[in-house]
Amino acid sequence: MANRLVEKYLRPSQIPTKACHGCGIGMIENWILQAIDELGWSRDDVVFITGIGCVGRQTYATWGGDNVGATHGRALAVATGLKVAQPDKKYVVVVGDGDAAAIGTSHLIHAARRNLGVTVICEDNMGYESTGGQFSPTTPAGYVMNSSPYGMVEPNFDPCDIVKAAGATFVAEYTAVQWMQTRKAIKKALQNDGFSFVHVRFQCNENFGAYALGTRDTVANIQWIEDHTRGIDGDGNPTEFKWETGVKHDASNSRPEFSRLLRDLNTRVAAGHGRRAHG
Amino acid sequence: MIAPSRPDAARLVAPWADWNIRFRDGRRVLETGTFALTEGAIAAGCRFFAGYPITPATEIAEHMSKRLPQVGGYYVQAEDELAGVHMCAGASLAGLKAMSASSGPGYTLMHDAYGWAVANEVPLVIVDAMRVGPVSGITGAPGQGEFYIARYCSHGGNIESLVLSPDSVQETYWLTIDALNLAERFRTVVTILTDQVISDMQEDLFLPRSADDLADIVVPRRHNREMPFYPQGSDAIDVPPNVVGQGTGVCVSAYTHTPEGYDIEEMEAHWDQSIRLINKIRRHRDELLRYESVGLEDADVVVVAYGAAARTAKTAVLRARSLGVRAGFLRLITLWPFPDELFGRDVPYVVCELNYDGQLVREVQRAAPARDRVHFMGKSAELHTVDEVLRAVDGVARGQGVPPMPYIWTEVR
Repeated sequence: MANRLVEKYLRPSQIPTKACHGCGIGMIENWILQAIDELGWSRDDVVFITGIGCVGRQTYATWGGDNVGATHGRALAVATGLKVAQPDKKYVVVVGDGDAAAIGTSHLIHAARRNLGVTVICEDNMGYESTGGQFSPTTPAGYVMNSSPYGMVEPNFDPCDIVKAAGATFVAEYTAVQWMQTRKAIKKALQNDGFSFVHVRFQCNENFGAYALGTRDTVANIQWIEDHTRGIDGDGNPTEFKWETGVKHDASNSRPEFSRLLRDLNTRVAAGHGRRAHG
Repeated sequence: MIAPSRPDAARLVAPWADWNIRFRDGRRVLETGTFALTEGAIAAGCRFFAGYPITPATEIAEHMSKRLPQVGGYYVQAEDELAGVHMCAGASLAGLKAMSASSGPGYTLMHDAYGWAVANEVPLVIVDAMRVGPVSGITGAPGQGEFYIARYCSHGGNIESLVLSPDSVQETYWLTIDALNLAERFRTVVTILTDQVISDMQEDLFLPRSADDLADIVVPRRHNREMPFYPQGSDAIDVPPNVVGQGTGVCVSAYTHTPEGYDIEEMEAHWDQSIRLINKIRRHRDELLRYESVGLEDADVVVVAYGAAARTAKTAVLRARSLGVRAGFLRLITLWPFPDELFGRDVPYVVCELNYDGQLVREVQRAAPARDRVHFMGKSAELHTVDEVLRAVDGVARGQGVPPMPYIWTEVR
């Protein structure tokens, strides 16, 4: 295989994935592998956790080590049990915008609040694409999808704001045209012994591209991502909105990780100091 | 409580018929069902609990939050029940025996995780302390409304379920150990269907002097480290559970899977997975039968019940027998797989359960030789009185059916 990281980290029988042509999922997974490789970690160091939908289905079982594909939205709940039981492993949780920002937001918030030691990569294709292209909480306002034929009327939100408010200790946001920055952010996220969240918007040709943007052309769809990352379109005019990308919050290793809190509690109880003094 | 030495003696068919005698010389306490459940779980090696407070299961969470840190285990108060069971499944996959507990309103939220754990053969124990419904109902009143939900604990079909129900504080202790054992042996979710009465009431409880005394009873956690991770098509039990985080390369997902755990959309794989999930339980029914009975062999009428409802029903049957009526008593402990084999005799059955819609009674109607000889005696939110059951037994024994009584439901449609 051309990419040595595929041989080093992935499962040959599960590659290539079932992703559509021009999908950004494989590209982002490559960046995750680059970050892991730079840290010198092996297959056995990392447990790879996914959800449901495009991002879940196309990445599940691609990792050469242990893989866990949760039910829709519950990847972080499963990861909580795994991390508490085996705290020395690294947990990479790869989920889409439906998993992270809709059906599983409650678990996302509480994992951030607990400062659970996992790295969440939210790969955001701005809609429910595996079910044929419906709007999600991260679809740009007014855009036409198959469940918003007159334009999405609901307001959207940025999941980075949510996890930051909930207590995440590392939060970053990038897009599919920001390879170097995303790889660096993922590497930094993986080095935080706490809850890390990296949000990456990427192109979907088959649904978001086709319905919201009117094209299945990969270059055109990536160009649209590029324009809204820079805030300037091809003609030099400002776009209707611009995503604020970059590291949004870095309090890495600033407060105790959740499984550590539970272990410290057990140590206190064993020493006979179970009950905390109340002022 | 063991061998029937006289006609009225109860026959207990369960692993703890023996344990009750072996461990009679331990500690004796006056305690609740929730306490017994917690202690049983910990004695059986449970080291992870995640749940959400709900009456009348809250005390299980409270006891666990106190006891688990003392034994090196972990208590997580989940954001909801759905998260709680997923956390438990994660912890179990990573090698810790795990349990969650709830009551009806929270129990209905767990089913997403149930299916995931069952399909992936993750050992887990889930407790439902039933209270009366519908919906939030009355928080402090008993109900038996989840008889079928516990069986059909997930969508999509193609699973068999293990469901056990205790009727006393002492039995709750042993049955919880048994449930954790079965979860390991069958690599599946075992449901303990208890209720508000059995959870909240206080009774004598005999505990072993030390958990070490149970070494030959408790099934330890083992780890499967090699393929096949899922022995598709096989009905084998006692297969060690898979473990995540130890570099075995195991894959665990929500999808129809191959023996490796890879997602696949082929009928043959689906058939093999379904055959495995169903037959590993169906073909070992003899390992799963637990019940208590009185006079089944010669009874003219048999009263059938489980959980709290069985307590007054049993008293009524014993009283009827003392009055010369040949009444029998059958308390189901294993609710699922349903023990059809206990309903072989063509006699009238009176089914006492704590709901008006009739759930257990429908299975008895199916299993008994004559559907029209199965009588329903539903009561809701409180136990049947001994007198009510006596009147029903008397009426049915005379061939007149269950007589009309206030707040007793007899129609099944």
